[in-house]
Amino acid sequence: MSLPLLQPSTATSFPTSIALTAQAPSFLKSQSTWFAALPYPLSLLTNTESQEKWQIYENLFLASLRTGADATAWQCLEALVARFGKTNDRVIALHGLYLEATAKDEHGLAAAMRLYEEVLIEDPTKFSIRKRRAALLRSAGKTAEAAQALVNILDASPTDAEAWAELADLYLSQGAFDQAVFSLEEVLLVMPNAWNMHAKLGEVLYLQASRTESVGEKARLLAESFRRFCRSVELCDDYLRGYYGLKLTSTRLLELRSTSQKQQQNTSDPSTGDLAPPSTETVKKLNAIATAKLGEIVRRASSGEKGWDGFSKAELSAARDLLDKSTLKIER
Amino acid sequence: MAAQMDQQIHRDPALFYWILLPITVVMILTGILRHYMSTLLQTTPKRQIIEKLREQRYLLRSQGLRVAFPQISKSAFEKRKEWWIDNAKEGKFLADPEARGAKPNPISDPAMMENMMGAMKGNVAMMVPQSLIMGWINAFFSGYVISWYGNANVYGVVVKLPFPLTPQFKQMLQAGVGTRDLDVRWVSSLSWYFLTLFGLQPVYNFILGSNNAAAQVTQQMAQAQMGSPMGGADNPDKIFAAEVENLEVIEHWYILDGVEERLIKKLEATPI
Repeated sequence: MSLPLLQPSTATSFPTSIALTAQAPSFLKSQSTWFAALPYPLSLLTNTESQEKWQIYENLFLASLRTGADATAWQCLEALVARFGKTNDRVIALHGLYLEATAKDEHGLAAAMRLYEEVLIEDPTKFSIRKRRAALLRSAGKTAEAAQALVNILDASPTDAEAWAELADLYLSQGAFDQAVFSLEEVLLVMPNAWNMHAKLGEVLYLQASRTESVGEKARLLAESFRRFCRSVELCDDYLRGYYGLKLTSTRLLELRSTSQKQQQNTSDPSTGDLAPPSTETVKKLNAIATAKLGEIVRRASSGEKGWDGFSKAELSAARDLLDKSTLKIER
Repeated sequence: MAAQMDQQIHRDPALFYWILLPITVVMILTGILRHYMSTLLQTTPKRQIIEKLREQRYLLRSQGLRVAFPQISKSAFEKRKEWWIDNAKEGKFLADPEARGAKPNPISDPAMMENMMGAMKGNVAMMVPQSLIMGWINAFFSGYVISWYGNANVYGVVVKLPFPLTPQFKQMLQAGVGTRDLDVRWVSSLSWYFLTLFGLQPVYNFILGSNNAAAQVTQQMAQAQMGSPMGGADNPDKIFAAEVENLEVIEHWYILDGVEERLIKKLEATPI
């Protein structure tokens, strides 16, 4: 079976989830053979206990929830409850997920919320439950409450990269760029080499730059964003999002420079420790490199070359659009 | 001392079945028993209260900041640093701000007590079977005449190693045997017990899985690393003060400084 049974299902694509769900009945059947139901001392002899087994159960559970196979999900959940007990953190979180996914209306969601809150009153250190609660609040549209819940989590546990990333996303959706940047910086402090987070920070800075009116501030933000993308592709070769951002920001920077040449000089202020803006030459060079690299990635990935698969289809077509647009401009 | 040629001791072949095998089997079984006993005696680690957790995480955050500061710009770093230092000096991160400066007493702290009890239980599970078995072997298998026709009454000698050894091994291999001239290759029953005690780790790994509690050697090492349970508790206020100092002396540099030149250089070195 080449299906990624052991990978966390958030990393698998939707078609894989469907395939996993289709496999679930045969897997569950293979787990419940006659000798597994022997009474206690004998059942020790036929023990198939392993970490992988329960990982598979959990992944099957998540996959079948994703694809709407609630009965299968319930079976997996029951097995997990039977093994780890109802009070296990992870099992509670999974149970809450099940309640959330199968909720028909507000009441169903409220039941999940009640479950979380009961657990949290008893023990506020169950961070997985607190995170679920924040996620539920967010999906219910209560953004302010979700942000508050996340801030509370982070006050108790300020080194939680996952919560910081979620908070950044939440702030970004609200247009609070400064807060989003701060949160993403916190993520980077926990995981300094996360290239996707560098690129994400670059994206946020780019968005912020495109909303800013003042030219000097805009140039500063663009330069910062440009450098973040540089760092991201420095950490990860052939990172499509990184090169995309690199090309985009460098193009914008060049445009900005050609329109406002004289303002370039005074943007660097050594007292705040900001870096001097990159020289126009370097930006041009990197723009050319990014264009070439993007072209290479798009070409190789769309011809299905070996070792070049795995790029997201949407990202590839966006990169193609960007390339087409820039060539149009040159022709004009 | 001309007896170094090759000692001929007529060993009763039944010794193999009645001493060597029983000791080995008993040792394996006690190992398994010990594993299950310590599994049963293990206390599940108590959940930490959230204030204590918060204190630890804030400490971790500062340590993270000290390591990963190049990732953020100087102004962002200064902002975080000042915020952390101010709060730490006011004691806002402490689990118990009222008890600042008081040296925690390990006896009065119930969590500490529990830790010590857990360690004690583990030690008991280790020591009791060990001393019992050693007594049993001493009482049973020594004082045992194995050679009916030899000229020396050798006590408790069970097995002859198939390779020669230097006399330094005498202590290790012939514990409890009082003859000076006996060839080192003869191993006494008590020594066989010690050999199995320390050498059965792979067997336990095979039977019980690799993270078993049967081997006492690894447990003793873990205890040595943990340090004594008494010395572990330091005043958290002091730890924070030290951390403030550490944070204050950091000289900031920024990873994005010159990243574009680095990238160009790197990409030019490996042409597309």
